[in-house]
Amino acid sequence: MTAADEPGTLVERIAAQTPPHVAARVRGLSDRSIAWLFIAPTILLLLAINIFPLVWAIRLSFTSFMSNMPMPMRFNGIDNYIDILADEDVWQHFQATAHFVVSTIALQVVIGLGLALLINRQFRGHSFWTTVILLPMMLSPAVVGNFWTLLFQPQIGPFNYLISFFTGAPPSSFTMIGDVRLAPWTIVLVNTWMWTPYVMLICLAGLRSIPDYIYEAAEVDRASPWRQFWAITLPMVLPFLMLAVLFQAIQAFEMFDLVNLLTSGGPGSVTELVSITLKRSAFEKWETGYSSALAVILFVTVFGAANIYVKALNRVKQR
Amino acid sequence: MADVSLAAVTKRFGDTVAVDDLSLDIADGAFMTLLGPTGAGKTTALRLVAGLEKPDGGRIVIGRRDVTSLPPAARDVAFVFQQYSLYPHLSVFDNLAFPLRAPARRLPENEIKARVSEVAALLRIDSKLGNRATKLSGGEMQRVAIGRALVRRPAIYLMDEPLSSLDAKLRADLRLELKRIQAELGATLLYVTHDQVEAMTMATTIGVIDAGRIVQIGSPREIYERPASLYVAARLGQPSINIVPRHLLPDIPAPSGAETIGARAETLRVQRNSGEGARGRVTWIEHLGDQNHLHIELDRHELVALVNPDADFAVGDQVGVGFVNPLFFDRNGVRLVR
Repeated sequence: MTAADEPGTLVERIAAQTPPHVAARVRGLSDRSIAWLFIAPTILLLLAINIFPLVWAIRLSFTSFMSNMPMPMRFNGIDNYIDILADEDVWQHFQATAHFVVSTIALQVVIGLGLALLINRQFRGHSFWTTVILLPMMLSPAVVGNFWTLLFQPQIGPFNYLISFFTGAPPSSFTMIGDVRLAPWTIVLVNTWMWTPYVMLICLAGLRSIPDYIYEAAEVDRASPWRQFWAITLPMVLPFLMLAVLFQAIQAFEMFDLVNLLTSGGPGSVTELVSITLKRSAFEKWETGYSSALAVILFVTVFGAANIYVKALNRVKQR
Repeated sequence: MADVSLAAVTKRFGDTVAVDDLSLDIADGAFMTLLGPTGAGKTTALRLVAGLEKPDGGRIVIGRRDVTSLPPAARDVAFVFQQYSLYPHLSVFDNLAFPLRAPARRLPENEIKARVSEVAALLRIDSKLGNRATKLSGGEMQRVAIGRALVRRPAIYLMDEPLSSLDAKLRADLRLELKRIQAELGATLLYVTHDQVEAMTMATTIGVIDAGRIVQIGSPREIYERPASLYVAARLGQPSINIVPRHLLPDIPAPSGAETIGARAETLRVQRNSGEGARGRVTWIEHLGDQNHLHIELDRHELVALVNPDADFAVGDQVGVGFVNPLFFDRNGVRLVR
């Protein structure tokens, strides 16, 4: 008898050929338990490196534990939280962070969308320029930080030279990193330089998803290029742009590496973002309990803001 | 509305010639249909008139104005695309009002409202004006797309298979509606389709197009009854025309040079046990309710004949097939006139 003569579906035929002892073992597994079997390693890993540290940090945030002291953990209730929220310096760092996030996002959106619109015109060699534009994003933040420190060097830095070339002011008359007024803009500038390509890339994906015939219809309907941008391009690219803003806002909010390399929070504390504050309290002052509480506050802030934002994003997408 | 004419228009995409030396005159108020298979160049011809493509040669004149080098906005045309080309984030009302709000022809808002509701009523989408364009069914979307053309009074309406993405019933409804609206407005319309039923039922003039060239222009009746070639004859008619080599039917008087005989299903006279006509055998019967299609084998050629549903034929019957006013074609497929 050939396989084709046997009754039943393919599954039944294969099942019939499974040896009894194997079948008995397999029969004990439902679809559901097999599914669990497949995702168990991932879940275990997630628990070990994400969930457990989170829970542990929350626990530590209610203690006065210092990880460089051989003292037992002592609970002090919400004292850490009170300390943080009552501390004017911390509020100032939050404010510096907010300025940084808002400025860099605004610049990234304007420049990123602009570049995407240019690249989308599909001129000769546009794929070459896309690669060139994407380069900063592919570099390591450590490289970017050191690189720009050099560029900003007052005596020999090309950046200062360039500015002086256009303004006439001597190159050593200002320092991008050491000046209280300029330093906040320095980190905005470098972060924007590094991450605008990312916004451009996502906007480009959005632009490419708009079918040509909508523009053709608008052209026949006598819509000017300006009107086509406001009535078609922007609304249709908006969900993509908002997604890019979400990712970049989270990235900017917890940005540490570039600031640490460029200014390490200085001069004074004008560029001290909360991520720097956190690192200082955790690994310079070794106030583990205090810094855990700060980390929890940061987490709740980002998590809450992101949730509200995603709701807004979904509303835009459903339109 | 205006006369539109294409004079020796040619369009190439790389090495392929999409439209080849095409000349066409569309009279004011005409419903002209371009009929042809996929890839025949009909959509390209339409896009050339709209200005969405630039011709490589020839001239396009709309209302005695040479528009060959003008952009779409300057041509005074309206276009309905095959896909629902709606502005997805706008409401139905705003979609319909979009062309009227163009700076070049800005109308007062109350007139826009009047025009939009008039067109919406015509297309029976007046209850949907507040809906988002994306929250509509396929048929409603396409009606909005058609409506967006109809709110304007352009020199010519251009439509690119606007009904092809709809289901059969809706297609039949909209076919009637479009024809009615066109007649009511006295609109000039150039309509592209590969669907012979659409062409036959709506057009005042049909242009049959093949490989970028117009093969025949005429009224639907002319094209159906006096096709210029075998190609045109085969494009129209359901079931399609029966084609038999001349030598199988030596009894029929034919003009000299005739190689092929064409006969539409309804022109065949089938009689059982009759000595008249060509001898054939019934191989299959399709019952369509109002009529039967009789498949007849005639010396290894299959013919389809239309017969009365009461006629009592059975598979295997020997029959005689008579040809009433058949068409004759020469070896190149060109029709010969007796």
